[in-house]
Amino acid sequence: MPVDMELETVLRPPQVPMPPYPPKWITLANGKKMVVRQAVREDVPAILKSVHPCLFIERDYYDIVSARLYGELLAWYRHRVKSEYCLLGQVDGYLVGIVNGRLENEKVGMSYHTLAIDRGLRIGSHLFAAKMEYHIDFIGQDEVLIVAESPIGFRRWMVEYPLEPTKIPHELGGGDSWVLTRETYLKAKPRLVVGDRPVPKALLEQAMAEIKFADDDTIRERIAGLKGR
Amino acid sequence: MRDVAILGVGMLPFGRRDEDTLVDMLAAASLKALDDAGLGNESVDAVYVGNMGGGMLQHQSSIASSLVDRLSLLPASAETVENGPASGGSAVKNGLLAVASGYYDTVLVAGGEKMREVTGWRATDFVASMTHPQAEYPYGITLPGMAGMFTRLYMEKHGVTREHLLAISLKNQEMGTRNPYAHVEMALDREGIFDSPHAVVNNPVSADPLHLYDLCPVSDGSAALVLCTVEAAKKRGKPYVVIAGFGQATDTHTLAERDDPTDLKAVTLAAQKAFAMARLQPSDVSVAELHDAFTILEIAESEHVGFFKKGEGGKAAAAGKTRLGGQIPINLSGGLKARGHPVGATGVAQVVDIVWQLRHELPENRQVKNATVGLTVNFGGFGNNVIAFVLKRVEA
Amino acid sequence: MSDIPIVAFKCKKCSKVHYPFHDRCLKCKGREFESIHPAGKAKLVTFTQIFNLPWGFDERFLIIGIGEFENGVKAMGQIHADDIAGLKLGMKMAPTWAPIRKVHGEDVYGLKFEPA
Repeated sequence: MPVDMELETVLRPPQVPMPPYPPKWITLANGKKMVVRQAVREDVPAILKSVHPCLFIERDYYDIVSARLYGELLAWYRHRVKSEYCLLGQVDGYLVGIVNGRLENEKVGMSYHTLAIDRGLRIGSHLFAAKMEYHIDFIGQDEVLIVAESPIGFRRWMVEYPLEPTKIPHELGGGDSWVLTRETYLKAKPRLVVGDRPVPKALLEQAMAEIKFADDDTIRERIAGLKGR
Repeated sequence: MRDVAILGVGMLPFGRRDEDTLVDMLAAASLKALDDAGLGNESVDAVYVGNMGGGMLQHQSSIASSLVDRLSLLPASAETVENGPASGGSAVKNGLLAVASGYYDTVLVAGGEKMREVTGWRATDFVASMTHPQAEYPYGITLPGMAGMFTRLYMEKHGVTREHLLAISLKNQEMGTRNPYAHVEMALDREGIFDSPHAVVNNPVSADPLHLYDLCPVSDGSAALVLCTVEAAKKRGKPYVVIAGFGQATDTHTLAERDDPTDLKAVTLAAQKAFAMARLQPSDVSVAELHDAFTILEIAESEHVGFFKKGEGGKAAAAGKTRLGGQIPINLSGGLKARGHPVGATGVAQVVDIVWQLRHELPENRQVKNATVGLTVNFGGFGNNVIAFVLKRVEA
Repeated sequence: MSDIPIVAFKCKKCSKVHYPFHDRCLKCKGREFESIHPAGKAKLVTFTQIFNLPWGFDERFLIIGIGEFENGVKAMGQIHADDIAGLKLGMKMAPTWAPIRKVHGEDVYGLKFEPA
């Protein structure tokens, strides 16, 4: 698609500089190692292939999370969003989870979504914690605004951190945001944020070489147990 | 009193069954049991349904009456039996007595629960409804909380360690991967849930000192049996299973009022009565299904029923004595831990699995060789209403 | 006079102390009881810290235990503590009567222990 670069300077939102997220690895409950690393824009078309089957799964609000995530990732790919990032979870190279968010300004972050493709392993918890780690420990922000679409998210974030309610509207739906402050993050960190750095060379190379995607049926089965449907 | 045989069994895979209503699940499991009994086009004399939460979670009462209508079993007698997490066991007991008494010849027993229809908070509250309404419930106590308090004392008194509990988690989740009816079919890794510092997220504390993987999941599911006279069972010309003995006992409602909260008196008494009726000993048991809603309970029950001395159950589990091929295999179905715990279904599902064991119908990776005697323990409340069955294989 | 309005029941025949109410004594089946209140400090019989709470609680966790009072009453209560690190089996606890939950926005009072 032809792009007018001069017009793009008007259409593209400004970007807040972001240092890169240093990759880490986590041992999951089944013993497998998950690499958590930052995606680049060029990864988006392939990532969307994993998100696509989730658009049609009602269970646990996967449809709305996926639909919004799809749009957010596409907006990032097409330079139509301010300071978005995306972190991936990979096991044996396979994409098992995606989290994203953006920076509203130097000090305040806006959490977008958490999508776990493999379930029952706390992948969502680990990846959400990784993005909070990014906002606060690596970018140096003071707080992150968060909402939850699903009761599972509500339990894992609002209850378990815990987060404080605010009257600040969140751009995901306009309802009231909850906030994770630096203080709460640091208190919760020992029990909620784990992972080792650096990632062993072979493990990182495997994750960086290729984002492998399970086929649609496998993804649907993993999420919703909908084998063959 | 007549001897009672099990003519047919059936169950649905436990898990999250959003598409099924409670009665859908009960009906489906019942049809499997009726077909297994060779009664696919026949009637039964009476139906007993074990269910704890239909009234609270599904806003449906008189479930057994609904089931006989669904299954075209009219005008059979029908009752719903509620005994908390021992509802299934109680339904089996009532069915057994119905045939043993001589009043009924063929009885269908079904157990079912649909717990995933509500959020986790509401499911937790529903389960907590079995605690004392004034002295316990208002404080926000949960069944995992009761188990946490019990575990703390049991560790102190009998030397159970987290390693012992881990042995139960790992064993039962491994067996769950071999059971197509299990809710959880995921093997756990010791490093991931215990040794690694990442275990703090993978296996967080749920009710100290119990962690996530010390607890059973919240499940939907159903199981069913057809009970009959021994004469009817003999007619099929192949080995069959009898309920050789049963026992039931109760204890104080509140944990606080037990003289020794670590003493599961109701488990001991129920098992003693069951063994006495069957004229068998714990050492005669080939395979057992114990009520491991929490890993500590498998250890505690293995001691209270007489498999191991007090204080030895945890060590025995860690030494592999309760695995397939061990001294006394326990929970080869995956137990409540991995098979799942739809509360009203569990007591029936335990019997179903033992029947498969005693019929020698299971694949090699779950089957105890030459199993002849089985024990089930269904634990209601927090140990204040317990039912045990001893089942025996009878050669044709 | 105890500050804790819990009513416990001492069997008039055999002196066994009960809480909660039983229509007949757990020991001798007697039906007459003297009403008593929990008195003095309580020994911490057991406790736990619960993270997955039932519907109706907004807290991240609850610490709950069973205390045995000096006059023999045994009762469950919440424990007022930031975490369980400082709690030990058998330690002395001071009982209070304090809000333990909210129902329809109203405080519900119950037994709350604090390290003595």
